[in-house]
Amino acid sequence: MFIVISTPAYAKLNVCTTLPWIGSLAAELGKDKVNIKVLVKPSQDPHFIEAKPSMILAARDADILMYNGLDLEIGYLPLLFESSRNPRIQPGQLGNFDCSRFVNVIEKQPTADRSMGDVHPLGNPHYHYSPSNILRVAHGMTQELSNIDPGNSSFYRTNLAAFEERLRNKQIQWAKKSLKGKNFIAYHKYFEYMANELGFKLIDYVEPKPGIPPSAGHIEKLIETVKKTKGDGILVTPSYGKEEAEALSKKTGIRVIIIPQDVGSVPGTNDWFSFMDNVLSSLQ
Amino acid sequence: MKRGIKLLSLLIFLAASSQAMGGDLESRVQAMEETLKRQQKTIEEQQKIIEELKDQIKTQIAAEKPKTAVATTEPETQKPRGTTGLFGGSALSNPNISLVFNAYAYSSNLTNDELKNRAIRGYTMDGIDRKNGFNLDSAELAIYAPVDPYFNLYATIPVTEDGTTVEEAYFVTTSLPTGNQIKAGKFKSGFGRLNSQHSHVWDFVDNPLPYRAFIGFGDEGIDEKGVQYTYLPPLPIYTILGVEVLQGENKTLFGADATGGPHAYTGFIKASLDVSDHATILFGPSVITGKTKTSTVQANSDFTGDTTLYGFEFTYKWKPSKVQGFKIQSEYLYRSQYGDLTDTVLGTVQRLERYQDGFYIQSVYLWNRWEFGARYDMLSIFKDDYTLGGAKQDIGRRPWRATAMIDYAFSEFSLLRLQYNHDESDIYGKVNHEVFLQALFSIGAHPAHQF
Repeated sequence: MFIVISTPAYAKLNVCTTLPWIGSLAAELGKDKVNIKVLVKPSQDPHFIEAKPSMILAARDADILMYNGLDLEIGYLPLLFESSRNPRIQPGQLGNFDCSRFVNVIEKQPTADRSMGDVHPLGNPHYHYSPSNILRVAHGMTQELSNIDPGNSSFYRTNLAAFEERLRNKQIQWAKKSLKGKNFIAYHKYFEYMANELGFKLIDYVEPKPGIPPSAGHIEKLIETVKKTKGDGILVTPSYGKEEAEALSKKTGIRVIIIPQDVGSVPGTNDWFSFMDNVLSSLQ
Repeated sequence: MKRGIKLLSLLIFLAASSQAMGGDLESRVQAMEETLKRQQKTIEEQQKIIEELKDQIKTQIAAEKPKTAVATTEPETQKPRGTTGLFGGSALSNPNISLVFNAYAYSSNLTNDELKNRAIRGYTMDGIDRKNGFNLDSAELAIYAPVDPYFNLYATIPVTEDGTTVEEAYFVTTSLPTGNQIKAGKFKSGFGRLNSQHSHVWDFVDNPLPYRAFIGFGDEGIDEKGVQYTYLPPLPIYTILGVEVLQGENKTLFGADATGGPHAYTGFIKASLDVSDHATILFGPSVITGKTKTSTVQANSDFTGDTTLYGFEFTYKWKPSKVQGFKIQSEYLYRSQYGDLTDTVLGTVQRLERYQDGFYIQSVYLWNRWEFGARYDMLSIFKDDYTLGGAKQDIGRRPWRATAMIDYAFSEFSLLRLQYNHDESDIYGKVNHEVFLQALFSIGAHPAHQF
């Protein structure tokens, strides 16, 4: 039952990731030493992914499976672990990489139950909008890649250093965008990490509870709130709640701001940096 | 770091002292490397804990300072935690537990007695085990967790008015060489599509006619004690190859006492590919064969012989978003059965041969929280040979049934379903007009749904 992981120098490391941003990060760190397969399409909302046999096949050959964690993938990931018939990626193995282990998680709700909607008891899972947390994940990912593929350890570390420098420069640039004091209404609890880090406020949500679509009554109430507080925009992702947000916008005159939910969700966001550039200029 | 140095010196010692061990040394060193990697990981995690503690102190200091601006939600710094485990959360002290409630109100133009005696003539004498009014299918308990790094364990325990049964209890391997897996215990066979699914994930309340005719009336299907081996080969297309050795106690296919030991064997292939970003097809053949000893062929008679059931399944699923989807699913079943039919009154024995088939096709359209479904079942499609003592039996026109369904999901965990069946499966009896109103609720651990 003992599995020895050895990667011949010529073979690329097979990296399988659930979400596109994880694939983008792995590409920054692994460059030409890794083959990356991303299971979720950028156009899909990460909350509503269903397991497909093709995902199982992709996970079968992975040396490492990287995922968001915090139960975001709970609807399909446990199935992938078992059905992939791949001992390397099982929980507890080196090839099982939960990115959220390295994150400073916010909004933990250990006492949550489902009457509160689709809450994530382990915490808000949308930390990919948070540069500081992405940097933490990048460090953890580099270590994990080095553990699995020690031969290329220094290569991964060099790439991490370059990534970190680029991120630090970007952070200075992003900090100049004046978002402090802005008030937004969001469709879903997607942007809390970013609000904390960049200093804007989320004053209300279109969803009455996470994952529960708004009723007519809730929208009426929201119209009142929005008119009173005069928010700077309604934040929504392209594939989750756009129609409802647009309806609310028509009634209140407050603009809808479409924020990509992941790398590649809107044109011109091919990697995590351009994704964040897009997010921050949309918020302006 | 001390540990690392100790290990290193141990490694040097090993390298120096065990040259005689030859090939064994290499694997030992590899094992050491592995341990080393794990310890590195632990150290990494500990470093992270330290970093987080530092952060905590920082935020505490910051919190003590007077707040200047209206703060947004303070980032709560979390205590470090380990991996989330296979199913999320800590599953150490408690396994994951869920309960599915499945109940329905039922109305038919037939009386309860007529339903009970409603056979599909030529196919099965088993009637419809439902009563007009309120029916409780079950409150089904599912318990599952990893056992250790080598096995996962599952149990499905439906609690019904008749008591508690063990529908499934099995383990699955997780650490065999890539592509291989063994499942053993009592489990739903991989034969066919609906058979391997739990009834609460079906798109309709009941199973289709070919299932009722060849596998049995209830929800259980081919649910047997035995061993399953599956292999996922490294092909460009997802392909599962599976074989099973089963006790063979399914009432309709084999009968509870067909032989003294395991005698049923199955084989199946399931292939799947994505035809577009949001559309997937799944298809493949299945077969199950075994010895049979039942009394459901005809009234007052016992049958002893061999039964083989062949199946072919096809599913197309298009799911571009949470609020839109479309699915077509179909299965074709063919039964070959031969042996001796003994009249329990007269004691006469006749040679029986049955070669019969059936299929269903069903489709569901998803729109927001609504689903609209239609299904058509039919028996005697291409083959309808039933001979008794060499004489061909006339079972008349084709048994068929048509179904319409509409359901509404309040959330992922609750669903109400209204279904109508126009059932002409009893060719000499009346038409059965059935209406179901089903409630399906689930609580507890979040299920991961199969494709």
